[in-house]
Amino acid sequence: MSNKKSNSIFISGPIAAQKIADDIQKHSSKVSIGAHSIFLGQVRADEIDNKKVTAIEYTAYEDMAMEKMAVIRESFFAKYALTCMHIYHSLGRVAVGEICLFVFTSSVHRRDAIDACNEMVETIKKELPIWGKEICEDNSTVWKQNN
Amino acid sequence: MDVQVIFFGSITDITMVDSVLLNNCTDLDSMVNDLIERYPSLANKKYFIAVNQKMVHENIKLKMGDTVALMPPFSGG
Repeated sequence: MSNKKSNSIFISGPIAAQKIADDIQKHSSKVSIGAHSIFLGQVRADEIDNKKVTAIEYTAYEDMAMEKMAVIRESFFAKYALTCMHIYHSLGRVAVGEICLFVFTSSVHRRDAIDACNEMVETIKKELPIWGKEICEDNSTVWKQNN
Repeated sequence: MDVQVIFFGSITDITMVDSVLLNNCTDLDSMVNDLIERYPSLANKKYFIAVNQKMVHENIKLKMGDTVALMPPFSGG
């Protein structure tokens, strides 16, 4: 976990439920932890001009995102008393109903894990150079906009 | 003096390529003017600019080997 290469937040395609379960299991040996907070983003079947969205295709400026994430990460550990924090975002195609974002924070007491998790989701949406393109049932596409 | 310009998100719908090499642009403003000449629709497009992965909000000098990114508003998550 400490080597630099494992620091990439990007996963090709959807994030499997099994990975989430495995990641929770891995923390059972870290017995100082008293609270985990998890956010999962799921691709929603929006309707655009009466056409159903069937998937989102994600692209990113990966090098810049990784550099930014390292800075954000450091600021979160300075602000919150976290034991650990893991973040994964999909790249490529993710179908509706599948998971595209996984934020997992852990702390001794619940408040730090919960607050850091919430703030991290907002930070990812606002600050990381990632773009989603919604793909409709007739294969037309619309660039996603974040609110 | 080559500068690599890379495009992301909806910008690539205008440029139809992921990147171009430009020469003779000494600063960001002249580079943007070059790009608008090539891709007129860029003129009414909203985007951020990063030079060598750092966000830049004013005109700066460019040097050979710089990488300039044109990025529309982010929509991750």
